[in-house]
Amino acid sequence: MSTPNIVELYGVTKAFGALTVLHDIDLGIREGEILTLLGPSGCGKTTLMRIIAGFEATTHGRVTIKGSDVSYLPPDKRPVNMVFQRYALFPHLDVFDNVAFGLRLKKWPKERVREAVQHMLHLVQLDDYGSRWIHELSGGQAQRVALARALVNAPSVLLLDEPLAALDLKIRHHMLAELKRIHQETGTTFIYVTHDQDEATILSDRIVLMNKGCIEQIGTPEEMYAHPGSLFCARFLGETNILSGAVSATDSEATFVNVGPGTAKVPANGTAVLLGQSVSLAIRPEALQVARIGAGEAAPEGVNALEGVVDDVVFMGSRVVYSIRTPIETIKYQETRSLDGSMLARGERVRASWRPEAAVLLTR
Amino acid sequence: MMKISRQERMGLGLVAPSFFFLLVFFIIPAILLFVCSFWMAQAFRLIPAFTFDNYARALSNTGFYFLTWNALKNGLCTAVLTVVLSFPAAYFIVYRTRGNLLFYLILVSWFSSYLVRIYAWRVILGSNGLINTTLMQLGLIDQPLEMLLFSPFATIVTLTHIMLPFGLLLLVSALRDVKKEYVEAARDLGASQTEVLTRVILPMCYKGVVGAFMFTFVISAGDFVTPQLLGGRDGMTTGILIANQFRTAGNWPFGAAMAFLLLAAFLVVYLGFVRLLDLLRLAPGRRFHD
Repeated sequence: MSTPNIVELYGVTKAFGALTVLHDIDLGIREGEILTLLGPSGCGKTTLMRIIAGFEATTHGRVTIKGSDVSYLPPDKRPVNMVFQRYALFPHLDVFDNVAFGLRLKKWPKERVREAVQHMLHLVQLDDYGSRWIHELSGGQAQRVALARALVNAPSVLLLDEPLAALDLKIRHHMLAELKRIHQETGTTFIYVTHDQDEATILSDRIVLMNKGCIEQIGTPEEMYAHPGSLFCARFLGETNILSGAVSATDSEATFVNVGPGTAKVPANGTAVLLGQSVSLAIRPEALQVARIGAGEAAPEGVNALEGVVDDVVFMGSRVVYSIRTPIETIKYQETRSLDGSMLARGERVRASWRPEAAVLLTR
Repeated sequence: MMKISRQERMGLGLVAPSFFFLLVFFIIPAILLFVCSFWMAQAFRLIPAFTFDNYARALSNTGFYFLTWNALKNGLCTAVLTVVLSFPAAYFIVYRTRGNLLFYLILVSWFSSYLVRIYAWRVILGSNGLINTTLMQLGLIDQPLEMLLFSPFATIVTLTHIMLPFGLLLLVSALRDVKKEYVEAARDLGASQTEVLTRVILPMCYKGVVGAFMFTFVISAGDFVTPQLLGGRDGMTTGILIANQFRTAGNWPFGAAMAFLLLAAFLVVYLGFVRLLDLLRLAPGRRFHD
């Protein structure tokens, strides 16, 4: 049985004047999940979130939350709360009064407000910060207050608009872990907007990859990484090698693609291809096997292999990333640093090969 | 010798010109005037002394209270009208328009001189003016309304007209600091549009509101040209009285004493206004929990 959807979007289209920024979006968000809207800037992810929050009206389409249509409700009447990119904490109020803001509007009695606010400040580990002014907080602390201010209202869905963009890298990783913990403790559904694929893969139950106002692909981070559905997806999530070529043969088992001087075999994955059609193969850098070619050794007929010269070596601690210049493309190869510390050197001739199932056949 | 860092030197250099200007043209004259308010005047000559007679004379005169009340009334009405009228316009300019066209159009009224505008209002409000003739032709009145011109009403209308661009300028720049995301955050947390105004926008542009109010209040309450030209007999203000002491009566000490009494009254209004905003919970920096 599938988890019921808490938010549903039906044919959501948004145009600003002549510019259409969202095209006919259908999307269901499951109760309790962390769903990430991922994409480059200008892909419409922020607009989509603002439509769910009620800050933008749809041009066409409907939004439902918990089964009821909220398309025409103003933001203050929707059971969602938002964490803003630059937090938007009220500078004329202290931390306690910022967190209490929503509850006081609901006319909660004083005692209950105090209990709820203290509980929230405890959840975000800012127990003794109630009387601090906003300008006295660090970026990470302000982020926590913004979370507490939204979550204290017990929203059906918490919307997070690039909440970590203003933090430096070290705090960002710490806050990601914190967000996961808070998600687990509250069980609230999170919709998270980001352009950062690392944040998306670390945090999400599911990723919605967006491009030019359309949904490119939806899936778990693992699915998206292992089975990208398009060139855009393969490039956006993680490092990848793209090899282009024409289909030379195809049957129910496998497809063969001319890649440079050789041929590549890819298992059939249901994608219909025609003979001669130009397609792309996506191969992750860590899925390659690379071996030195000894002097004088005859190069065998290339199946799932490319020969080239090591162009660049980047040492990254636990792993090493090589650039290998082949006749058609410069490809990346990544390996875990071997225990004896041996590495390929620049200028060495190598052969890069891969297992057929390591490549993904892409037609768009 | 004390060392002054480069940054401090630059700071001093930036402040010095305006400080020097204020010192020569405001602080020193104000001190001299204050000293003068304890002197005596006899037959157009100043006699150094230390007497409270001038203050006592003003405070024991019912006319002084009446005129001061008029001045404060003009100032308060003008300030309230200016803030109330320019706030919605400022709100519209900051949150609903992209460019500054409307803003500049309103500021254009500054280009005409102060006196021209006073005389323009004489034409509009006079017995044969725009308002009276229109009302008479519509048959709403038989006689021209004399109270339109030469009344506190005329003074306040004109002063508000003159002050409006100042108020707008101050409120627009204050509202520009209240970024749209604060408004959105408040809406998101369940605030209605009115609650956004009272709980977020007004406290956040507190300085602008107080600034616009006090600026228009001080200038209109102290003004003596507009009441003299438009206020009529009942519209006389302390400003006119003070100006007369310096210009015709030649009693500088008495004029100075009244000027400082008026200043004290302004301070009371300022403190009262700030207290009122605090009581209405519109002031920032307040904690609502213990």
